[in-house]
Formats: sequence, structure tokens, C-alpha cells
Amino acid sequence: MNGGHDLGGMHGLGPINAEPEGQEPVFHADWERRVFALVRAAGALGRWTGDMSRFARERQHPADYLGHSYYENWLAGLLKLLVEKGLVTADELATGRAAGPANAELRRRVLHAQDVPNVVVQGSPVEMPAEKPPRFRPGDRVRGVNRHPTGHTREPRYVRGRLGIIQAHHGVHLFPDLSAEGVRVGRHLYTVRFEAAELWGENSNCNSTVYVDLWEDYLEPA
Amino acid sequence: MVENTPQVHNLVVCTLCSCYPWPVFGLPPVWYKSAPYRSRAVADPRGILKEFGTPVPDDVEVRVWDSTAELRYLVLPEWPAGTDDWTEEQLAGLVTRNSMIGVEKARSPQETQQ
Repeated sequence: MNGGHDLGGMHGLGPINAEPEGQEPVFHADWERRVFALVRAAGALGRWTGDMSRFARERQHPADYLGHSYYENWLAGLLKLLVEKGLVTADELATGRAAGPANAELRRRVLHAQDVPNVVVQGSPVEMPAEKPPRFRPGDRVRGVNRHPTGHTREPRYVRGRLGIIQAHHGVHLFPDLSAEGVRVGRHLYTVRFEAAELWGENSNCNSTVYVDLWEDYLEPA
Repeated sequence: MVENTPQVHNLVVCTLCSCYPWPVFGLPPVWYKSAPYRSRAVADPRGILKEFGTPVPDDVEVRVWDSTAELRYLVLPEWPAGTDDWTEEQLAGLVTRNSMIGVEKARSPQETQQ
């Protein structure tokens, strides 16, 4: 979707004001630590994929997405998923009290302390078997397909309609557009090299290039 | 792993969310996840680098890696001058997290003495 999250090339968002390395607390408030833990623990219940999580954060009003801090967006996405997947009711959220006990199947998936280190650093596998040969090879000229799906996608707006060169082929990876809908299928994945002038115009940053990882459905021959 | 050389400087971003090599670096810093960094890294990388105190000359190509899939990118910083005879352990002391995201260079031997 063309949401508030698709930020590449947007103007007016201000300076970066990075905290110096080594002087950054991991969390800047206790509630951030709690939201981080809640999101990981709720993810362990197995009711949604990583792409569904991302899509839940993206499906906010762009003004909310941009106005929120990082963990506020995490929380907004989590609350959406908890209600949509029937784990929590709107009433329970409003009152802060469970209307009854969780079912046994959910209770079996409670994340225990000893499993936390694995859950935090491990993603789920994304490499999939190839069902057909890749359409493109390194060196091929391609164009980002001009498509504007209202669902989740990982084709940033700034590459749509733009010419690039296939830099590398990475085999078949889980396709996020469908993974966000709960469908586990793979598509060939490529790194595509774009010249800055092609993306941003002739007077843009000279002598720079952008490499973007794009699935086959996002690309057409050029 | 993408290598910095005298001709090429690499920079890593995730414009769509906050993809980052957690198992290696831990959680990303706030600035990496922020809208200003995500919006500008792909369109104005030299401006970003200047903001981090890392001006890159025009004759050096800047390559920006937008982590849109589950591949994660680490920058191999350029070998710091005057350290040809350093051990691996000594060199590791010069490599910062920021230099592996690509917003800074590896520290110089002079910086470590300060």
C-alpha cells in the first residue's frame, strides 16, 4: 500500500540528530521495553507472519504513522492484530481486563523466559524451493513494475517505473505480498542496481547508486 | 558484506521499516529507524554522510543498500591508513557499529589514542 511507511525520497522530515554510538540506551522508556516484549511474546503465539506484522503497522493513517515514535507504531500494529485475530476484544483493550481465560492451545504457546533469546534473534526461514527457473540474470536490464497494490508490498514507490540492472539473484524467497495475507509462496529474489539520476533526476546526488532487493513480480524486462 | 574501497563507499538503510542485522548488532539505534534517515538515505546519501561527519568526495561512488527483503547488509569499512602491520584484534578495536552501517569510517589509530 502507498502508506506513510514508504519513506524513500520524502522531504521535510528534519535532521537525523543521531545519539553518539555507545551513548544510546537500548530503550528510552520502560514502556518501550514492555512493547518490545509484548510484540515478541504475541508473535510467538503463531497467529501471524512477520509480513502481517509489518502490514498492521503500515495500515495506519499516514499522519499517525509519521507522528508516532518507533515503538508507538509497534504497539499500534500489535493492537490491530490482537483484535483482528480474535485474541483480545475491543472491550478487553478498553478495560485492560481479560474477559476470561485464554484457550488451552494458546496457553501452550506462551513464551517462556528460557526461549526468549532464540525468539528475539531468530527470524523464520524465508528461502523456498524453486518451482520455475528465474526470469532474469545478472546484467539484465529491468524496470520496476508500476503497480500500486492496496495490500502489503516491498516494492518501494521510488523504484516503480524506474530502470535498473540485475546485480544478483538470490534464489527463491517467501513473497511478502502474499505472506501478509497468510499465503506461503516463494518468488525469485534479485538485487537491482539503480542509478541515482534515474531515481531522482539529473541534478541529484552525483555518482551514487541504490541497490534494492526486489522480487520477480516487481520487475519487468526493459 | 559490502566492501568500502578508495573508489566506493557503502551505506545501509531500510526505507520501508527497520530491517537490520539484529543477530550481529543487536537492536538498531533510534536514528536508523527514524523517518529522517529512512527518507533521505536513498535520495541524499552524501547529505546524510556529511551530517555524520563523513563527507565523501564526488569521485567516490556512494552505494546505498535498501534492505527491502530478508537479506541483511554489513559494510566492511575501508582499511585505516597506518595499520598495515596491526593484528586482527587491534584492527577490531577500530571498527565501530556505525562504520558497519556505513555512516562513518573505521576509526583511525590517532582517534583511538585520544
